[in-house]
Amino acid sequence: MSAKSPPRWLERMLVLFLHSRDRETIPGDLLEEYREEQQPRLGSIRANVWYARQSLSLISFWNILGPPMKRLLIGISVFTAAAGAWLAVMENLLKHAGYLERTFIAAAIVIQAAATLLFLAFDGRPIFRALVSTGSIGIVLFGASAIQRILKASYC
Amino acid sequence: MDNVYNVDIVAGLLGAFEQAVLLTVWRLADGRLGSRHSSRSSGLSHPPGHRGAVYATLDRLEAKSLLDSHLEEGTPARAGRLRRYYHLTAEGVSAMNESRAALERMWRGAKWPLESRA
Repeated sequence: MSAKSPPRWLERMLVLFLHSRDRETIPGDLLEEYREEQQPRLGSIRANVWYARQSLSLISFWNILGPPMKRLLIGISVFTAAAGAWLAVMENLLKHAGYLERTFIAAAIVIQAAATLLFLAFDGRPIFRALVSTGSIGIVLFGASAIQRILKASYC
Repeated sequence: MDNVYNVDIVAGLLGAFEQAVLLTVWRLADGRLGSRHSSRSSGLSHPPGHRGAVYATLDRLEAKSLLDSHLEEGTPARAGRLRRYYHLTAEGVSAMNESRAALERMWRGAKWPLESRA
């Protein structure tokens, strides 16, 4: 009889969010407990639910910021900073009405992306965490106000 | 001055959960913390969904050099996946002793269990 195992996709998801040093050991601990205790006691379906809950408890904020999610976040931040810088340059070249306000928004986007990169580079030190949180709130408010203006303009 | 507590005594203490983890590793002959066997035999149980706290604490204690770990071959039940074994370092033993001594100093003169003064 072959040994029972949790669904492969659940195992893969867990491995994806773990640091490289834990990618063998933690899934091994879980699999051992799954096979020796949970599956015989609970049956396959409930044991799979148990495995999913255990996996979720291991996916913390810091795990998400660990590789490969950290690399993804760095890529997104660099792209956002480049897009913001491009927007600011184009606004200043074209100088359409209200370009100063839009340049300010573009600069805020660049600063926010740079703060996120600093946060990642310095392992989430509290000062950068505060900077990133403040910047994120600012960007969300800018975005909300822009959407509100677009909606108002389309109904006028 | 019996009623004055030096805050440095408390500031240097290990957290209760950290002490529980270190004591568990010390008690386990094989240091297999995190596995079913060790959780059950050591008395360090965790509610479902709180396993992450155990691993996070182990990582933190290792980063503080209070614990050390090494990898060994996995069993068939683990599909051959490596197992991490932990053991207390000299600093870990010293930190545990200091924490215990600090708590005892803090409680000195207080009759236990405490009675309400309200």
